[in-house]
Amino acid sequence: MIKLYDVSKTYAKSSVKAVDSLTLEIKAGEIFGFLGPNGAGKSTTIKMITGILTPDSGTIQIDGVNIAENPIGAKSVIGFVPDDHDVYETLKGIEYLNFIGTMYGVKSATLKQKIEEYASLFDMTDVLPNMISSYSHGMKQKLSVIAALVHEPKVWILDEPLTGLDPQSAYQLKQLMRKHADMGNTVFFSSHVIDVVEKVCDRIGIINHGKLVAVDTLENIRADDKVSLESLFLTITSDGEGK
Amino acid sequence: MKKYLSLVRIMFVQQYKKSFATADTKKKRIRTTVAYWVLLAVCFLPICLSIAVAMFYIGKYSEGNVYIATFLTLICQGLVLMFGTHSIMSNVYVTKDADKLLYLPVRAHVIFIAKLTVAYINEVITTAISILVVLLPFGIGSHVGFAYYVSLLFSLVLIPMLPMLIGSLLSMPLSALVVFFGKRSTVKTIIRIVFYAGMMALYMYAMYQFGFISGSENGSIFYNPEVYIRDMIEHLTERARSIMPYFHPDYMLANGMLARSFGTWIAGIFASVGENALLLGLVYLTAMPFYRRMLSAGLEEGGSRPVRNGKETLKVSNRGVVREFVFTDLKRTVRDQQLGFQSFAGLIMLPLIVVIFYFVLGISDEGDASFLELMAVSDLYQVIAPLVILAYMAFLGSGTNVLGIFPISRENRSVYILKSLPVPFGKILLAKVLLSTAVMLVSDFVSCVLIVALMGVKWYYGLVMLVTMALIGFGVMCITTLLDLRDPHFGWQNFSQGLKNVKNSYIAMLIALLTVLAVALLAVPFVVLYALFGGWYWILAMWIVIVALSVAFATVTYKIMDRKATKYFERIEV
Repeated sequence: MIKLYDVSKTYAKSSVKAVDSLTLEIKAGEIFGFLGPNGAGKSTTIKMITGILTPDSGTIQIDGVNIAENPIGAKSVIGFVPDDHDVYETLKGIEYLNFIGTMYGVKSATLKQKIEEYASLFDMTDVLPNMISSYSHGMKQKLSVIAALVHEPKVWILDEPLTGLDPQSAYQLKQLMRKHADMGNTVFFSSHVIDVVEKVCDRIGIINHGKLVAVDTLENIRADDKVSLESLFLTITSDGEGK
Repeated sequence: MKKYLSLVRIMFVQQYKKSFATADTKKKRIRTTVAYWVLLAVCFLPICLSIAVAMFYIGKYSEGNVYIATFLTLICQGLVLMFGTHSIMSNVYVTKDADKLLYLPVRAHVIFIAKLTVAYINEVITTAISILVVLLPFGIGSHVGFAYYVSLLFSLVLIPMLPMLIGSLLSMPLSALVVFFGKRSTVKTIIRIVFYAGMMALYMYAMYQFGFISGSENGSIFYNPEVYIRDMIEHLTERARSIMPYFHPDYMLANGMLARSFGTWIAGIFASVGENALLLGLVYLTAMPFYRRMLSAGLEEGGSRPVRNGKETLKVSNRGVVREFVFTDLKRTVRDQQLGFQSFAGLIMLPLIVVIFYFVLGISDEGDASFLELMAVSDLYQVIAPLVILAYMAFLGSGTNVLGIFPISRENRSVYILKSLPVPFGKILLAKVLLSTAVMLVSDFVSCVLIVALMGVKWYYGLVMLVTMALIGFGVMCITTLLDLRDPHFGWQNFSQGLKNVKNSYIAMLIALLTVLAVALLAVPFVVLYALFGGWYWILAMWIVIVALSVAFATVTYKIMDRKATKYFERIEV
């Protein structure tokens, strides 16, 4: 569902490669956790997959569509939850969802049904008529999640999705990720929270200094059952050696 | 003191830090900066020069009159007040960084003084320009001594004090009112614009009442300028003599500036410095009791109260990508405290200035026809006036249309949303250009109605002007959108300060001016033929050519924008 081949990116104001020759394939029906320390290249990778950044080299395919050749087609199947929740603060929650629905070409009836379904799930129904600027961090996060799902994306990408969520909402989100993947879709998310990655993901990838240093199922990465993912992560990212 | 200096430094860094989103080499940046200053000069030199020449003659004929000098100082302060009050409000009273400041172990009065210092330094820049254009040529015209020019340095520091006090006194109730309206963002924007328009109108009215914009008993400025200026100065001096001493700090400053002896000079300057220090103290004393409360009140509008039966109030609409974009963009802008004001306040300038022109040109002695009335009956006026006004509308309308000048920069950190949407970028840009053109058209429409109603221009010329303006405006907005896309500025905290010095608005004015100049050049042969041989068909042909050229301009610029936009858009790194 998501294929990255030899993707590299250096920011215009920097000489360091933020992402260096990244090759990765994520299949339909799996939840993929993307781990890495701060500044490792997680968000840059996500921004390239979602079409926010253009890679310097390499190719990215989403559901068989090359994002460089057909960006609209590729973006149509993606639902994206950013890490900073910098949504349009001066819109009301419902206005933002209407906007996103229109941009993704969702029919009114479907949009209404999806909004009601997800708003109810995340206990947001009664605050959607309010201005986003009045929302708490967690509410903005939940709004971003709803906005990412209203068009039923085949690929759901989340950048640090659990930060700021209350335990109930975090639980709902994890359930939703599982449900989404079980329906044959792909979930790709980055996180610092190793426990969550451990519990939710089918496969994980670890990135450090822009390079993918490990990618496999948790069991395969952790050859020895007694080693925790946390210590494994710390070992891999401290010396840069991968599997 | 250390905390105060740190605060001032960090506020300055925040304000002027340019977060360039695209790669920009040092050499290129220098080239851009030079081009920017040349552009600035090209755009504003004619206006500034004409004011400076007028001030030179006022100096010459008033022979260094202290009341006139006080009055001119007051004019400089009026300008600072007009352009600076909003800066005081958004910098000092309605600030976006209150949450980052209130938890610091710094007393509220230190925050207040640091913010006031930043606002003050911003106002010194406006003051410097007003001194260059008003007080300096006045001094040269008056043949004053060296002490006058030294005193200008003091006036640079002292002139912003009175506007600071007035701005502060006005900002406090206004900020309180804005806080009172809480989440009703559109109402808050409207209040601010009405307040600003009111202040502008009041300033113009005061100038008019004072006689600075007035007729002469013995002639108009167009027939006999020397007599006009002498009469005006006489009239002005008469009024100023009774009123100016009440503006005592300015009056003392003017006394010092025009002093013939060292003793009078030092006495005047010192008295003014002392009195202005008192004014500053007054600003501090009036604001301090409320300041901390005002800062925290601005943060209290947060909190989302659940709506009863929220599910029933959820309305889903689907109106097409471009329309949805236009409406969403409009709502976002109107409801944003900073953007709303910046985007719409500039548009009141055009109609307001038409009204001022009406007052200036419409003055007549009792029983006589005014200059405007005399002109309006002339066929040639009906031909030339719309062209001149059109040039003016294009120049000012394009330069003040923030929506069209910073369509991408105003997205700030939310620009990633545009980049992740499965919508052709051309459609997004079209929506942005349509919105900015539509907003400008509202101002143009009101201006055209006023031009027809007050300036005696025939209605059908008003209509064709509006059509031409819509097309030229659309074209200019396409270019400014492309410029902003090529070099966007993100990461700003305060929109008015962060983008104030960006070259795009001046480039917009220049493009509009050049376009209208091209239109005017094309019109010349038709006007000459009409003047020589008469016949309405020459005028009809002229307007057909102008409209056709405007259509071509709008089409070509749109195509250029559409062709280049995606490439620039992809370069943006967020």
